[in-house]
Amino acid sequence: MTKNKGLAAFCASIYAFLYLPLAVMFAFSFNDARRNVVWKGFTLKWYGSMFHNAELLSALVTTLELAIAASVFASILGLFASYAMTRHAPFKGRGIYSSMLSVPLMMPEIVMGVGLLSFFVRVHIPLNFWTLACAHAMIALPYTASSIRARLLSLKDSRLEDAAMDLGATEWQAFYKVTLPLAGPAIFSGALLAFTVSFEDFVTSFFIAGIGIVTMPIKIYSMMKFGVTPEINALACCLLLLTVVLLSSQKLLAKKETQS
Amino acid sequence: MLAPATIWLLAFLLLPVASLLAMSLAKRGPYSSVIWTFTWENFARALDHKYLTVLIRTMCYASATTGICLVLGFPFAYFLSFYAGHRRETFLILLMIPFWTSCLVSIYSWIIILGRAGLLNNFLLNLGVISTPLGILNTPFSVILGLVYFYLPFMILPLYSSLEKIPRSYIEASYDLGAGTIQTFSKVTLPLALPGVFAGCILTFVPCIGDFLTAEFLGGPKTYLIGNLVQNQFLMAQDWPFGAALTTILLVSLISGVYFYQKLEAAELERA
Repeated sequence: MTKNKGLAAFCASIYAFLYLPLAVMFAFSFNDARRNVVWKGFTLKWYGSMFHNAELLSALVTTLELAIAASVFASILGLFASYAMTRHAPFKGRGIYSSMLSVPLMMPEIVMGVGLLSFFVRVHIPLNFWTLACAHAMIALPYTASSIRARLLSLKDSRLEDAAMDLGATEWQAFYKVTLPLAGPAIFSGALLAFTVSFEDFVTSFFIAGIGIVTMPIKIYSMMKFGVTPEINALACCLLLLTVVLLSSQKLLAKKETQS
Repeated sequence: MLAPATIWLLAFLLLPVASLLAMSLAKRGPYSSVIWTFTWENFARALDHKYLTVLIRTMCYASATTGICLVLGFPFAYFLSFYAGHRRETFLILLMIPFWTSCLVSIYSWIIILGRAGLLNNFLLNLGVISTPLGILNTPFSVILGLVYFYLPFMILPLYSSLEKIPRSYIEASYDLGAGTIQTFSKVTLPLALPGVFAGCILTFVPCIGDFLTAEFLGGPKTYLIGNLVQNQFLMAQDWPFGAALTTILLVSLISGVYFYQKLEAAELERA
C-alpha cells in the first residue's frame, strides 16, 4: 500500500510538471503588463485586443481553412488506401506499403520540411495554400489510415458487405450503401485527428509555407522572435480550449465505435 | 483505389527524400541554387570539427532525454496500468492535453518560468535560497528539460500499452509460485514490457534528433542541435547542398539507430 501511495505521489508530480506551463500560460493571459514576466495585476484586455488584431484573425482563418482541406484530403486518401488494403486480394509488398503509410509518423518533421522545400523548388511547384494543404494531408495520413483501417477490418469480419453483394448489390453499391455509412464514425474520428495535426503543425508549414501564407503557429513564432505581446497567452488559452473540445469529441466517437 | 495514396507517398515523401539525398552530393551555387556535380565535399565538411561537435551534442542530448524519459515514464505507465483502475481513461486524456498544446506556447511558458527574471528565480530569491538570479535558460539543462517535457508522452504511451497487454494471471501465478514483488517485477513484468520499452525509446529518440525549436528558444548557440544547423543552412545561409548533407547524416543515423534497436529487441525477446 505504501508503494502504491509513493507511486501515486510520483505520478502527481509528473502531472504537475506537465501542467506547469499550461498554468503559467493561463495565469499570464490575465496579466496587465506588456513585459510578460512580472505580474502587474488582473486584466481581460488581451482577450479583447486579440479579437481586434486583424493579423491574428487572418492567421486563424488560414489555419482553419488549411486544417479543413488537409483533413478532407487525408480522410479520402486514408479511406481509399484502407479499402484497397482490406478488401482487395493481397498484393506483393502490402506489408511494406502499409508501413510506408506510417513513415511520416516516424520521420523527424524537419526532414519532411526541408525535403519538401528542396523538391518543390527544384521542380518548380509553386509553394501556395494547396501545396501546403497536400503536405499536411501527408503528415495526417497515418492517423486517418489507421483509424479507418481498424474499422474496415472489423466490418469485414461481420460479412455485411458479402451479404449485400449476395443480395445483388454491386461492389460499388455495397461500398456506398453499407461500408461507408458503417465506417462513417471512424472516418470522422480520423478526420478530427488529422484536423488537429494540421492545426498544430509548425515545422512543415515553417519550411514550405510560401510568402503570404501565415498560419497561427507561424504567427506565434514570429511574435516570439520579434517583440512578444501578451496576446499570445490569451490566444493560446482559446486554442487549447478548441483542441480539448476536438480531442474529447474524437475520444467519445472512438469509444462509441468500440462499443457498437 | 491505391493510386491516390501512392501518388501522395511519391510526391510528398519519397521524391522529396530522394531529392535531398541527391542534393547532398551536389555543389552550392550562387544564392540558393545548386550545381549538379558529384562530390563528397558536403559530407567531409559536416565531419569537420565545428559541425561534428554539434552532431555529437545532438546524440548526447537525445540519449540523455530518452534515458530520463524512460526513468520518469516507466513508473508512471506502471501506475496507470496497475493501480489507476477505471480512471485510467481520464488519466490518459490528462496526459494528452499538454501534448496537444502548441509546442511554441509551452516553450514560451518555460521561458517565463526559467528566465533570469522569471518565476523560478523570483521564487528562489524570495525564499532566500539564492542571492543572485541563476542563469538557467540557455544551458544544456534547460534544453534537455524542454526535450523531456515535449517527448515524455511518446515514452509513456507505448510503455502503457505494453504493460496493459500483460495478462494479470501471469503476475498472480508468479506470486502463487512464491516469487516476491521484486522478483516478479524483474522476471515477469519487465521482460514482458520490453517491446514497449524499445518502442518508447525509439519514439522519443527520433523526434529529439530532429528538434530545433527547443534549442532555439530555451538554449543558445552553445546548445544548438543538428536541427538548428539544418534550419540555418536552408533558411539563412542558403547552402542547400550542405543542409541536405546534414539532413542525410541525420536520417542515416536515425535509420541505423532504429535498425540497431530492432536487432537488440529481437535478441532480447529471444532471450526472455
